[in-house]
Amino acid sequence: MEKIEAKDVNFYYGDFQALKHISMSIPQNKVVAFIGPSGCGKSTFLRLFNRMNDLVPGARLDGEILIDSRNIYAPGIQVDELRKEVGMVFQRPNPFPKSIFENVAYGLKVNGVRDKEFIAHRVEEALKGAALWNEVKDKLNASAFALSGGQQQRLCIARAMAVSPSVLLMDEPASALDPISTAKIEELICEMRDQVTIVIVTHNMQQASRVSDKTAFFYMGEMVEYDDTKVIFTNPHKEATQNYITGRFG
Amino acid sequence: MNIPPYPAGHSARKRRSQTIAFIVFRVLSLLIVLVLFAILGFIIYKGAGVISWDFLTKAPEDGMTSGGIFPAIVGTLLLMLGSAIVAFPVGIMSGIYMNEYASRGWVVKFIRLMTNNLSGVPSIVFGLFGMALFVKYLGFGDSILAGSLTLGLLSLPLVIRTTEEALKDIPDGIREGSLALGATKLQTIWKVVLPMGMPRIITGLILSLGRVSGETAPILFTCAAYFFPQLPSSVFDQCMALPYHLYVISTSGTDIEAQQPIAYGTALVLIVIVLIINLAAGFLRKHFEKRLR
Amino acid sequence: MVKFVETELNELKREVDQMWSLVNSQMEQARDAVINLDKNVAQQIIVRERRVDAFELKIDSDVEDFIALFTPVAVDLRFVLAMLKINSDLERIGDYAHGIARFVNDTGAATFDAGLMEELRVKDMFSIVLDMLAELQEALRDEDPVKATSVLSKDDQLDQINKSSASILSRYAKENPDAIPFCLGFAGVFRKLERTGDHLTNIAEEIVFYIDAKVLKHTGLKDA
Repeated sequence: MEKIEAKDVNFYYGDFQALKHISMSIPQNKVVAFIGPSGCGKSTFLRLFNRMNDLVPGARLDGEILIDSRNIYAPGIQVDELRKEVGMVFQRPNPFPKSIFENVAYGLKVNGVRDKEFIAHRVEEALKGAALWNEVKDKLNASAFALSGGQQQRLCIARAMAVSPSVLLMDEPASALDPISTAKIEELICEMRDQVTIVIVTHNMQQASRVSDKTAFFYMGEMVEYDDTKVIFTNPHKEATQNYITGRFG
Repeated sequence: MNIPPYPAGHSARKRRSQTIAFIVFRVLSLLIVLVLFAILGFIIYKGAGVISWDFLTKAPEDGMTSGGIFPAIVGTLLLMLGSAIVAFPVGIMSGIYMNEYASRGWVVKFIRLMTNNLSGVPSIVFGLFGMALFVKYLGFGDSILAGSLTLGLLSLPLVIRTTEEALKDIPDGIREGSLALGATKLQTIWKVVLPMGMPRIITGLILSLGRVSGETAPILFTCAAYFFPQLPSSVFDQCMALPYHLYVISTSGTDIEAQQPIAYGTALVLIVIVLIINLAAGFLRKHFEKRLR
Repeated sequence: MVKFVETELNELKREVDQMWSLVNSQMEQARDAVINLDKNVAQQIIVRERRVDAFELKIDSDVEDFIALFTPVAVDLRFVLAMLKINSDLERIGDYAHGIARFVNDTGAATFDAGLMEELRVKDMFSIVLDMLAELQEALRDEDPVKATSVLSKDDQLDQINKSSASILSRYAKENPDAIPFCLGFAGVFRKLERTGDHLTNIAEEIVFYIDAKVLKHTGLKDA
């Protein structure tokens, strides 16, 4: 089943066309990786799925993006409602200046959940889901800043998952982390794929090949190739893709 | 590879000029500290003698040649409080608006330019403006209200700017993190951005209070009383204030000889108040930052 | 990154090519040893077999190093995997040449019956194998999948000659019971050459497999 569908998406920052005629569909409960050199538009494209680019002045989109067959750019779509459905984890861990508990509870609270018992239950579930519970269960009231970088990133994953999104966008989630923390994040991705559809932008080719079911290669605002990860990494059909993944990029 | 022709002895010369430059910097910095200590020492030396419980708690007596400065202390504290009530909400909200809401267009640039200009306006001009607007036009008369409003206007640019700077330093990633969870912009500002900016905003606020406490010119025409021994009973009363009191007794006193120690005592009290405020700013900042860590 | 990966890959390819030349000359000498019943040549082959084995180990460990250090993907990955497999195919071919040499060295016969040799088409068998070896070596050098596939049909001829050799030898053995040990040994020569053909077929497929993406590249999917 298709979870996300992009139909002939063009995206502009002012006069600059950042994305050119991109159409793709992302199947439900799969992990899809976006790879490509810096500035190729992969992050821009990712941020269209939760309308994060709305904040950028001068940005303009044509084409359609459908999530669960609903155009998320149609008039009448509430952006904050959309973002409950489509969570996001960023490149740098960005915990709030609050306690560990409050960080995870934040998404529930801003969306109007008041039931304390439910919140506590959900926070525990989310922290367990992010493999962080055992490390923090005795210090839930400690500041999130006291955690290590890798723990902070897992906290951010727990925070995103606490509101039960059906899509999780990850924008280079491990690029600021050491190899062990990176491995933990990758493990989480594999475990979470039963619950959410994951779209991950990464500069680390091995990461893309390890965690994803499908891979899309972007270059200069175009989607050059999109196929099963196995095909992309053993026998890509486009020369540009092959040059990029083998490191022969002119 | 060719090694460039490094001149002999250049390295030693480089080091020597560095040493000399650092000595000059160090001496100059020490000089400034010395001057500061000289002023403080002088005032303590001259003024410490008159400080007593009565001096702090009694009104001036005998044509201000004896007695205390209690009404002036109270007046200064009231004016600080009043100006804070005026400036803080307006200043913080404008700061938030300019950093969080207004897109970075010409409107914001214009507002910023204007606030910067405002902070360059001499305080006596604020005094004149306050007299024209609050005292005369709005009919508040010479009063704590008019004084507070004038002082509030004076500290507004500083409050706006510190708020803006404090918020600007908060990484966008934090805001995005909150928005991505379905929070609205207002929720994001209220629950995440403001708490993070608080330590610096509060420091800025308190420093602006320190500045207000020492101002004379803006209250000259709007509030300050030459002599008003009883405590004010409403915001429409006049009041005494430490800096103005100091000015009065050292320029137009009835008995310069007898009043001189009182003037130094007043100066000492004023300096101590400012000092306490600055220390409090540092303490509060540390406290808030610790809560964030 | 590009440059030293390229250097490593070229080095690997050069090594395989050298191994290839070595195996090729082993097979050529095996032909000479059989046709002339030359025990001296046979001994040279037996001595040089050790060099073939050493070469195989060297290439194995170089491929292993390359995979560990450069984690190749796509065409690079296919290339090193192809080299690894071609390497082991070549080593087996070297083994067969060695086996043939052993037979020549150990045989009690003073001469081979010239008429029988003619009927068995030993020379043809050898020259087909040597042709395939040479053509595939060129196909690898030029990265030419068309040349690589063209050898596939020759393998059928090998099968044919091998099959007919069995009946010829069994008839000959019936007629000359003294020559039974010789006939059994000689049947082994044919079996080895036939197996060589199978390995060469594998090599042809490896070459095509690794160049695969380049084929696609040339056939117009280049709109990227």
